[in-house]
Amino acid sequence: MIAIGRELASRSGGPVRVALFGEKVRALADALAGHGVEVLLAEDPALAEYTPDGYGQAAQSIVESTRPRLILVAHTSQGYDLAPALAGTMDLPLVTNCLALRFDGERIVATRRLLNEKVQAEVEIASSRPIVATVRPGAAKAAGPAPGGIVTSTTVRIDGSKVRARFLSIERPQVQDIDIAGADIIVSAGRGIQKKENLPLIEEFAKALGGVVGASRPLTDMDWLPKTRQVGQSGKTVRPKLYVACGISGAMQHVAGMKDASLIIAINTDPSAPIFEVAHVGIVADVLKLLPATLKELKS
Amino acid sequence: MPLNIVVCLKQIPNPDLQFQIAPDGKDIKREALNYKLNGADEYALEEAVRLKEKSGGRVIALTAGPKRTEQMLREALAKGADEVTRIAFDEPAAYDVGKVARLLAAAIRTLPHDLVLTGVQSDDLVNSATGGLIAGILGLAHASVVTRVESKAGGLEVACELEGGLQRVYSMALPAVLTIQFGANTPRYAPLPAIMKAARQPIKELSPAALGLASWDAVSLPYTFGVRGLSPPAAKGHAEMITGTVEEQAKTLAQLLREKGFARR
Repeated sequence: MIAIGRELASRSGGPVRVALFGEKVRALADALAGHGVEVLLAEDPALAEYTPDGYGQAAQSIVESTRPRLILVAHTSQGYDLAPALAGTMDLPLVTNCLALRFDGERIVATRRLLNEKVQAEVEIASSRPIVATVRPGAAKAAGPAPGGIVTSTTVRIDGSKVRARFLSIERPQVQDIDIAGADIIVSAGRGIQKKENLPLIEEFAKALGGVVGASRPLTDMDWLPKTRQVGQSGKTVRPKLYVACGISGAMQHVAGMKDASLIIAINTDPSAPIFEVAHVGIVADVLKLLPATLKELKS
Repeated sequence: MPLNIVVCLKQIPNPDLQFQIAPDGKDIKREALNYKLNGADEYALEEAVRLKEKSGGRVIALTAGPKRTEQMLREALAKGADEVTRIAFDEPAAYDVGKVARLLAAAIRTLPHDLVLTGVQSDDLVNSATGGLIAGILGLAHASVVTRVESKAGGLEVACELEGGLQRVYSMALPAVLTIQFGANTPRYAPLPAIMKAARQPIKELSPAALGLASWDAVSLPYTFGVRGLSPPAAKGHAEMITGTVEEQAKTLAQLLREKGFARR
């Protein structure tokens, strides 16, 4: 986001500032300033943990004091909690989940992906008010170090009585399963396997390769496999030597968790499935037919 | 405590299909699409009905969309919604999430609402913005990516999913807006008698006038919005494809796995 902010600022001629909220996060502020930006550091005990209202008030305070043309927020589960509510509260324009952003005169043009990554859209927004935009993680190469950054301590107004969702705790997943993140070979199943009864086929194939079974989100949502097997943004990030995607369409959330595998083989009946964009080897086939035939070949 | 729940639903083209761009480049071709209830909204509807079954109250399903969305609203009735309302906003694609959220918020103002639920994202436009916008516009508490909701004295306890399998737990006051995550529950199937009954139930329709507007173009927005164009995404890279019959593909795949040293023998 700093990279995108610096690029946009260099073209529009204005400054780029980074707002950092938290408590005792000075070291992080210094690290961010190392990217050549002004860091507005707002520290407050009420910001020690993220809450929608606490961080929302802090963001509103910063927007009011700096009046930016564009407010960038990461399109993460926390970012798309914060950004739309900020836009709604302050009556600001909003565009989310952007792959790229550029200024075109008075307008901001955003590139987005729709319909399971199958369609790309360019939309434009013009406004005299600050525009809120969320940016998909990985949309740009991370910013490198640059000189000239500073940290400016900033006060934000937070009314504790208006923090309506109060932080209670962070829950961590209980691991009572194998850790797929450490596996060299992962054979992952998606909705294309159609029925839970077809899982043994995936297991048999994984076993033939000496690997373990992973899954895309729909399968763990349906409890066909434990949550610990889920590969993707909300599950595990894996970097195995071999990743076989069986009947997985390749939604952004899944791809984020497996794109760095050394060899990706994708099997899917839909030739337009986005998984074929990240795979090294692709096979348009019904996984329920292809895997038995391949197992037969491997045994012969 | 009985809860008045509004659940916002969206009907979307089935994203498993292949899509073509319309000749004007501003939308997909819509003639032959089949539509369905958005995936995350199925979980939001189920969560609303479960909360009502536990705490008492009513569930109103709300959508903004053309006539075809009536089919989805009947599905919601069959799955346990008590009433359904369609904002008769006929724009087939409705790319501007800010406008749709303002319409939904205006309708919610006219309905009793202790709790507003919706899905975490729509699988067609993938904005993940509607719930948060509604909360901001109406000045309600909110939480996103919710995987668990429990009714507690004076409010709710909710768990929200973060990246990497972590969950953040809040205690929340009502009224509130929650966006519900995939997998938060197991959505039910509608029983046949309920489907039959839903076919006869009324669907309330809101015209612009009902929301105090001269027309759908009269929604007050702090910006102008436009679709510049749609295109097939430029492939970043593409897999080397193994073609042929299934037997031929299997042979090539087995050979590849052996060459790379992945086959056990």
